[in-house]
Amino acid sequence: MTGAPRRTIAIVGGGASGVILAAHLMKVSGGNVRASVIERDPRIGRGIAYSTELPEHRLNVAASRMSAFTEDPSHLLSWFRNKYPEARDEPGRFLQRREYGQYLADVFAAAAASASGSGGLVHIKAECASIVQVPGGLELRLSNGTSLASQIAILATGHDPGPHPDRGFASAGASVPPIDCDRRVVILGSGLSMIDAWLTLQARGHRGEIVAVSRRGLLPLPHGEHRNPIKLDRADIPFGTELSYFVRWFSDLIDEREAAGGDWRDVIDGIRPFNQQIWRDWPISAKRRFLSHAKAWWDVHRHRIAPDVHARAHEAIADGKLRLIAGKVSDIADRGNRTADLVVRLRRSGDRIALQDVSVLDCTGIIRDPATGSNPLISSLITAGMARTDPLRIGLDVTPDCAIVNFRGEPSDRLFAIGPLTRGTFFEIDAVPEIREQCQRLAVGLVG
Amino acid sequence: MLTKKGKYGLKALVHLSRLPAGQLAFVGDIARANNIPKKFLDAILAELRNAGFVQSRKGKEGGYRLARSPSEIKVGHIVRVLDGPLAPIPCASRTRYEPCDDCDEATCQVRHMMLEVRHAIAEVLDNRSLAEMRDTTNDDLDLPQLQQA
Repeated sequence: MTGAPRRTIAIVGGGASGVILAAHLMKVSGGNVRASVIERDPRIGRGIAYSTELPEHRLNVAASRMSAFTEDPSHLLSWFRNKYPEARDEPGRFLQRREYGQYLADVFAAAAASASGSGGLVHIKAECASIVQVPGGLELRLSNGTSLASQIAILATGHDPGPHPDRGFASAGASVPPIDCDRRVVILGSGLSMIDAWLTLQARGHRGEIVAVSRRGLLPLPHGEHRNPIKLDRADIPFGTELSYFVRWFSDLIDEREAAGGDWRDVIDGIRPFNQQIWRDWPISAKRRFLSHAKAWWDVHRHRIAPDVHARAHEAIADGKLRLIAGKVSDIADRGNRTADLVVRLRRSGDRIALQDVSVLDCTGIIRDPATGSNPLISSLITAGMARTDPLRIGLDVTPDCAIVNFRGEPSDRLFAIGPLTRGTFFEIDAVPEIREQCQRLAVGLVG
Repeated sequence: MLTKKGKYGLKALVHLSRLPAGQLAFVGDIARANNIPKKFLDAILAELRNAGFVQSRKGKEGGYRLARSPSEIKVGHIVRVLDGPLAPIPCASRTRYEPCDDCDEATCQVRHMMLEVRHAIAEVLDNRSLAEMRDTTNDDLDLPQLQQA
């Protein structure tokens, strides 16, 4: 409608979710929105996931499913063919993460160009330190000493890379601090971040032993040759049941598929469109049990890696260059400068082994209690009562419409969150296929 | 179609949802009050316990109670546990799919419509909680009037 009041929207965080949201806002707003993305990194779109420059770091999802727009699945591949006409490009290819970061930067630039002259989309190179309520909206106080008035603010701060409060080592993944090539390195965790850190060390020509320690010692599994998800309908799925009942149903489904000559991946991929509803309908007891007992198994099946990366990791294990230990770190004596003496209690035997004077990289994963996280904005919002953690303490409490819930349990009409911060409500919200849908729904809800 | 098992299970849960929170009921009492064969009800309640909808206690002071608030339990979730996928006809289920031996699915207009019915069943049953089912006015005549209003 012409003459409709222009809305001002601030997006805190310019990684994948912030950029994808900005693009959707510009698409649906018809020039009635002025959006600012607050991101300290001058290279917008990189975030933690796509900052790496190493070609070995590739997407864990095939390019055909990584478009920023659900309704335009070939958007990324068209961009890629245009940008790198000389590259051989097979559909299903796992792009380099730096290429995807470049894609996101171009998505942002295109959205900003389309909006120039009407509403507008800008990148403010700063960090948001706090958000306060003022008459008629919000005031975002920025690290550069200025502040920004906005009617709506959306938190898109992603994963918390800060040191885990129990361990004190900054999270590592694709970005690894310099380590002497001959030192023994212990990586805490054996999931996707461990693989990233290991690839980085490999690329630097690390010669010392690399030991990965995790409770179950499970490596991420590889993608199959072809993606062939089973067709499911919500009428089939036992929503709202306890975890043991659900797991039995799910294992039977996998057994049936495999007995019919199919692959377990077909079932994991077939259920994915329903993961958010499964999570939402589980009683809180089932969610708790899932997080403590089933998640490690789920993660290695759900968060898979490119087959050639998987093969390389297995080769390194066979050659003794990478050692995988199933156990729990029972003692850490910090020696400073990211080194420590560790004691690991082995899962099967219960024996304790000492790992003396090793360099430590924390790749234990991305699920954190936001109240004790390293992001001062999030903790200040919780302290001020404008936000609270979800009952499982794995994210912020948000409604299904992404509105942040305050300490009294009331959803805000100005403050929203997207992406991994909303994990408590959505759970399956780490990857682009879900994030782009969430962004589209929120954009339409706010300005459509 | 809702089987007798599904119907009895829903009746038993409505019965339990009328009790003060935490209070247990004997299977015999639930069976008598709702006109359900007791042995059948034993089996039904055992399935509902496995799925996490009810809890049981053994012994003299024993019995069944709801495992969580009736406003958190959706009717569709109960029916799936007792009767399997919400499908009006076996060929309209994906996981418990059975083809009919007397028709060709590709040209079967009946199946096509039943897929739509499946969707409508889920729409209704997944949006009604056990508490809502318990509190609905028990009068068929009200239904068309409600829809017109």
